[in-house]
Amino acid sequence: MPECVGYASPFHTGFEKRTRTCFPSEAKSSLMADRKKIPRRAFLKSAVAIGGTAALSACLEREQADVPTGPDDLSSYPERQHAWNESLPTDDHGNVVAPRHRVLLYLNYAQSGPPTDADRRSVETALRGVEHAYERSGDGLLLTMSYSPSYFERFDKALPESVSLPAPKALSSFEDPHLDTPDAVVHLASNHAQVVLGAQEALKGNKSALNGVEQPDAALTDAFEVVDRRTGFIGDGLPAEKADEADGVPADKVPEDAPLFMGFKSGFKKNQASEDSVTIQSGPFAEGTTQHISKLDLNLNQWYNQDDRWQREAKMFCPHHAENDVVEGAGDNLGTSSNVDQCGNPVETARETGVVGHSQKTAEARKDDQPLILRRDFDSTGDGEASVHFLALQRSISDFVGTREAMNGTDIAENSAVGQRNNNGILQYIRTERRGNYLVPPRSLRALPPASPTTETEEVTHASS
Amino acid sequence: MRRRDALRMLGGASLAGLAGCVGFGTRSARTPPLVADRPDAVYYPTHWEGMKTVNVREQNGYRCALTYSYAHRFWLMKPSGITKVGIQPEDSIHLMPVVWDTETGVIPPDVNPQLTITQDGETVDQFAPWPMLSQPMGFHFGDNAQLDGDGTYTVNVSIGGTSTRRTGTLADNEGNASFSFELGFSQAKLEEIAYTDIPADKQGTKGAVELMDMEMLPDSTAPKPDALPGTVRGSATSGDAQFVVTAIEDATRFGGSEDQTYLAVSPRTPYNRTILPMMSLSGTVARGDETAFDGYLQSTLDPELRYHYGAFVPDVRSGDQLTITVDSPPQTARHEGYETAFVEIPAMELSL
Repeated sequence: MPECVGYASPFHTGFEKRTRTCFPSEAKSSLMADRKKIPRRAFLKSAVAIGGTAALSACLEREQADVPTGPDDLSSYPERQHAWNESLPTDDHGNVVAPRHRVLLYLNYAQSGPPTDADRRSVETALRGVEHAYERSGDGLLLTMSYSPSYFERFDKALPESVSLPAPKALSSFEDPHLDTPDAVVHLASNHAQVVLGAQEALKGNKSALNGVEQPDAALTDAFEVVDRRTGFIGDGLPAEKADEADGVPADKVPEDAPLFMGFKSGFKKNQASEDSVTIQSGPFAEGTTQHISKLDLNLNQWYNQDDRWQREAKMFCPHHAENDVVEGAGDNLGTSSNVDQCGNPVETARETGVVGHSQKTAEARKDDQPLILRRDFDSTGDGEASVHFLALQRSISDFVGTREAMNGTDIAENSAVGQRNNNGILQYIRTERRGNYLVPPRSLRALPPASPTTETEEVTHASS
Repeated sequence: MRRRDALRMLGGASLAGLAGCVGFGTRSARTPPLVADRPDAVYYPTHWEGMKTVNVREQNGYRCALTYSYAHRFWLMKPSGITKVGIQPEDSIHLMPVVWDTETGVIPPDVNPQLTITQDGETVDQFAPWPMLSQPMGFHFGDNAQLDGDGTYTVNVSIGGTSTRRTGTLADNEGNASFSFELGFSQAKLEEIAYTDIPADKQGTKGAVELMDMEMLPDSTAPKPDALPGTVRGSATSGDAQFVVTAIEDATRFGGSEDQTYLAVSPRTPYNRTILPMMSLSGTVARGDETAFDGYLQSTLDPELRYHYGAFVPDVRSGDQLTITVDSPPQTARHEGYETAFVEIPAMELSL
């Protein structure tokens, strides 16, 4: 797939939003060949990571995409913002194929106190603007709007009991993450870089027309200030293609076909919660869901240069898989499941082999034999480091906490040769940098929702469309 | 791609000219060929390296010394054997954050430090070093780190909660801590560190380089048998590791009851008495035709026993047959001279 690649100024020192020229990826190889001429602080960066109108222009020239526009009438759009699966393609096995390019815009509401109806109208109108411009699909645009616990603190009334949305916290004894408290996060996803970039620029009020569709005179930035921007990608070949963009990615080690930096496929159908099971069932936010977003820095030097394939397979899946060569390449041969039912009991495995697998541990976090979280995570080179934006949806934040506790393997470490991080799944290689919790409200409440919505409020929001 | 990779390419001729070399020393000097026919036991390696201490910091009941040496090869464990980790061309030094409980001097193998190296506010490298066993250094956490040449770096070492059972005053120390060091690194300073060849006729023979005298740092040894609390009931050797067994009546202090006995197994390396952590051990106590105990020997940190493996048993009687089974050998990485020992550790039987 064509990919937009930017070339950052040779003299920039990080990822400041200066104007950069966007080069097509064919140019990337010649830049690579020319690397000797590039001062050491130069990085190749993808257009999505750079962002801005210049990156978008370059992408539009480069990416030959004929993106269908959305309908004039959006009334058939699902109440569940997170209902993406039916709009996404599946692979040969029936696994949903995640959209390849992502942007997360972190937003703070510009005013203190409860939001105004005028701001609600601006937000809804701006969101509808990009929905008219791009079809709701993987090749078009998928988006969710979500709100943090700190956003809801502005209301006199608390969130209803039907919503479990605690403030974020550290989820292992050995992490000390920065706790994110923006008011809102927009998640933009598409198979086309130009779509996430275009949607972002339109939502910021920088586009009078998008994909040939006139944009409303309303922007998210009428109500919000953009306080952070995180970007990334997931999909076969993208991590290898972007390995040069980040420090710490061993050259030529990320497999060419891997969808994620660590070299293995994830998101198997049977290892994902269903959209139904992560949906809030009752109360004013019924049809919504909760979202956890963490940023995890990866240590790929140890993973690729020090561990061998056996260790990577054992630590990601389980020793049984490594011992029996169950996983071919990135694991496409596994079909619809990581087949952890073959792995055995985690504590027994840990005692007998001294290693326990990541999938093997997290599979313990199930309810009615179903996983609790729906992963929509992606990799990033956004700040010059290889990292993961681990975005997960679940009915309650406690479902995420339970899954992470299973991943910590505390009882396993206490009772076996497995250490706190050593040989304990992939804990050795990830460092939690940030955590944040959000409510993804139903579509009808996606524009600056009150903490305790009434029917009347919902009508107001609908009326604004 | 690492900045250093780019740097290497950009640096062009000067660095490229050193292809096949490590740092500024030659590869042959820093990584001499391994001894042929290494025994399945602790053996004298080709050479040993000293270390430098950058500084010692203290916070929340822990002290941390940041130490370093030459980048070197080591081995990672897996059930079917070991994986050799060679020195990469980008590796500058071997960084070792040594953390210990201030009050007892116990180095806890369960507290896995996280290292972040920055320069001018920019991250140069970040990793969780491996738990390791080395003859001169003992148990420590370490890994080869990749710096951007001579200069001043900030090294942050953070530790989190515990993951191994603790007894005595060690149980009170569960705090997180963070230590910051300024590392003035230069190749010249690195090369001041001792690098001692071991005579060819000694290399590969059974034995070990002595533990270094590390000023200001505690060591990671297990107590001598006569210094262990309780009554030492025997010892056994397997896989070249020594297992000393002691029985302590009244297990209250260890979380058991007054009428129970605490059966503690204290494994250590031969020669240096370095602890052997991160094993899965289990044991049975047979008394005639009966089984008095059958279960895990749980890894535990105690101020007196230090790192050991223990269980509560009803009592220990003369003539009881203890079987110690090693379900997993120490999952620590190994430095040269330890990589072939403590890998296959057959079960041991001893009469108490």
